[in-house]
Amino acid sequence: MRNLTGLLFAGGLGFMLLSIAINLDFGTPTMLIGGAIQSKALQETGATNIVTSVVLGYRGIDTLGELSILFAAAASAGLILGRRHTTAGTQTAGGFVLRHGGSMLFPLLMTIGFYIIFHGHLSPGGGFQGGVILAAAFFLPLLARPGAQLHHGTLSLIEGFAGASFVLIGLIALQQGKAFLQPMLIQDTLGVLLSAGTLPLLYLAVGLKVGAELASLLSHLAQTESDV
Amino acid sequence: MNEHLMLTIALPLLGAFLLPIIMRSSLAMGVWIGPAILGYGCWILGNLWLHGNGQPFSIAIGGFAPPIGINLYVDAMALLFAFATQLLGLIFWPFRLDQDTPKRQALMLLLVASSTGLALSGDLFNLYVFYELVAVSTFGLIAASSSGAAYVATIRYLILSGIGSVLTLFGIALIYAQTGTLNLAHLAQLAPDQLNNDLGLAAFLAILIGIGVKAELFPVNTWVPEVYATAASRLSAFLAGLVSKLAMLVILRLLLLIFHQPEATQVILILGILGVISGEFAAWRAKDMRRMLAFSSIGQLGVIFIAVALPDERGVLAVLALSLHHMLIKSGLFMLADHWGGSLDRLRGLAATSPLAGGLFVLFALSLVGMPPLPGFWAKFTLITELAGQTDPLYMIGLLVFLLATVIEASYLFRVAAKMYQTKPTENVRINAPDSGGLSLTTASLFGAGLIAVTVMVSPLGEALQAVAAQAQDVDLYIQTVLQQPLGERQ
Repeated sequence: MRNLTGLLFAGGLGFMLLSIAINLDFGTPTMLIGGAIQSKALQETGATNIVTSVVLGYRGIDTLGELSILFAAAASAGLILGRRHTTAGTQTAGGFVLRHGGSMLFPLLMTIGFYIIFHGHLSPGGGFQGGVILAAAFFLPLLARPGAQLHHGTLSLIEGFAGASFVLIGLIALQQGKAFLQPMLIQDTLGVLLSAGTLPLLYLAVGLKVGAELASLLSHLAQTESDV
Repeated sequence: MNEHLMLTIALPLLGAFLLPIIMRSSLAMGVWIGPAILGYGCWILGNLWLHGNGQPFSIAIGGFAPPIGINLYVDAMALLFAFATQLLGLIFWPFRLDQDTPKRQALMLLLVASSTGLALSGDLFNLYVFYELVAVSTFGLIAASSSGAAYVATIRYLILSGIGSVLTLFGIALIYAQTGTLNLAHLAQLAPDQLNNDLGLAAFLAILIGIGVKAELFPVNTWVPEVYATAASRLSAFLAGLVSKLAMLVILRLLLLIFHQPEATQVILILGILGVISGEFAAWRAKDMRRMLAFSSIGQLGVIFIAVALPDERGVLAVLALSLHHMLIKSGLFMLADHWGGSLDRLRGLAATSPLAGGLFVLFALSLVGMPPLPGFWAKFTLITELAGQTDPLYMIGLLVFLLATVIEASYLFRVAAKMYQTKPTENVRINAPDSGGLSLTTASLFGAGLIAVTVMVSPLGEALQAVAAQAQDVDLYIQTVLQQPLGERQ
């Protein structure tokens, strides 16, 4: 009975989607706001990567919201994982190649991660993507050496201050008589590393926060499984 | 001054990020940060209410004028609910100290920030982001509440909520694909041309079901009884009292501004009627106090959905009155029921051991049923007169169901009240009778006092609400305020 209901619901939803999709014309998106942003973004934010100008400028508060969602998810997971005790997971130590491979990848991943974060306003990439790579850099050695641990205190310190600095950059703008999260310090040289005003700073905060959060979440998961 | 409104969202977020760090170095300082931030938020919003000129205004975030940037739209209705959010957040602040305190308080700050955002935001996708934040922070808070039962409840809530989020996002994507904008004022402007069709209706239904998960809408409310019965009662009170109303507020806004199809209101009306029936009958059968309150909450929200389906300004007034009334009553009842878990029979003879708790319960029950001169009567009276004035037979069914629900409500509430006032409790039951904890009883008394205050001032408050409703209903005012163009230039 329950399966039948589920099937009916899925079928109905699929039918609705199809009948709607027929009426939408693909390939010619309505660029009402999109077009307006494309024509203005370079002058207004100074970021050559227009996606960045949307993510941090025009819809900055959404990004702050996403960061908070990530923070809430990590905190919730910490609350639940913190008390579970499974006896599963008797990992064997990795071999020589695995351990040293993990260590050698660490600096490379760090470099790439920070490169992607710092060039977020110039080329595809940015805080979210770079942050994930940073998290991977810290998590890889952990996978190679099951006994190793990340220092959770430091991670939560980075996480907290990175999130706070995002809000604080927004508040400084407010304090200077501008709007909350309004981009500041914009110069007119496009395309150089130090351009687009406060946007790279915001992306750095995003990257550090995402990196610290994911790393601590992953190591939490790893530890919960190996707790005996 | 107006720009400071942003602080009511930004400061709780800042506090949430920093709280775990501060608490690690100094617990004594940390515990005061949350209440201080929320108190400041109340002060800002209260000041705006008192010293504002009553005209709505819009704040462009990031300095980009809407519709390109995101804006907050602040009218009396938004201000009212934002203030209620911060105040209730302060009242239901999780004081309990244990190893989870920093995370719990940080999540609570996130919940308050996102709820305030839901009340104020003027952008469809931004609403979705705040809605998600509400969802994720409540998962954590419920799971952190206590028991294994709360875990199970959270998982059901998580799955339903996930389905709801996907549906909402799908609806938003449809709207964006059709119109190319996400700003509510801009959408309100374009809607008569572009969304008054099947696609608009499908988008609305997707968003309605999605957001309805939080607003306890009929088919997607199966998480409600489990969660409210197992989560900490301060949290249940906040969710039932406030968060459900904010989801309702979002649906009302979208309905007023964008979706004018008659089918949209019909769907809401039918789902509302079904919600009333299912909720009230389930509450009548419930054997556990908090489960009963949860089911009754589903029924009450159904009544509010019926009011949302009403077309004109009096309908909005009924929604506001019923929502605020339910916010007051349900919060109070959940606080009263803090220690009343388990079988309803445990409450036998409770009025003798704790006369204040018994008296408060009777007061809340009377107002919930709609006994004049308590405010519940006026809220329900507005709805009845408005429903009776409609010609569509569906509204008549709504009226009948509503009256039937009132009878059922009276029956189960007074069954409990009668149990409390039974005079000759047997010995062993007497020992079991729970005592109401000091803090929760004090909080409940606060809501009781609020209810009496509203009863005394019902006529000026009614007029004020009428003005709020009129302003919320004015689509032209909304468009004009946000896009700042004279009315003549509307396309």
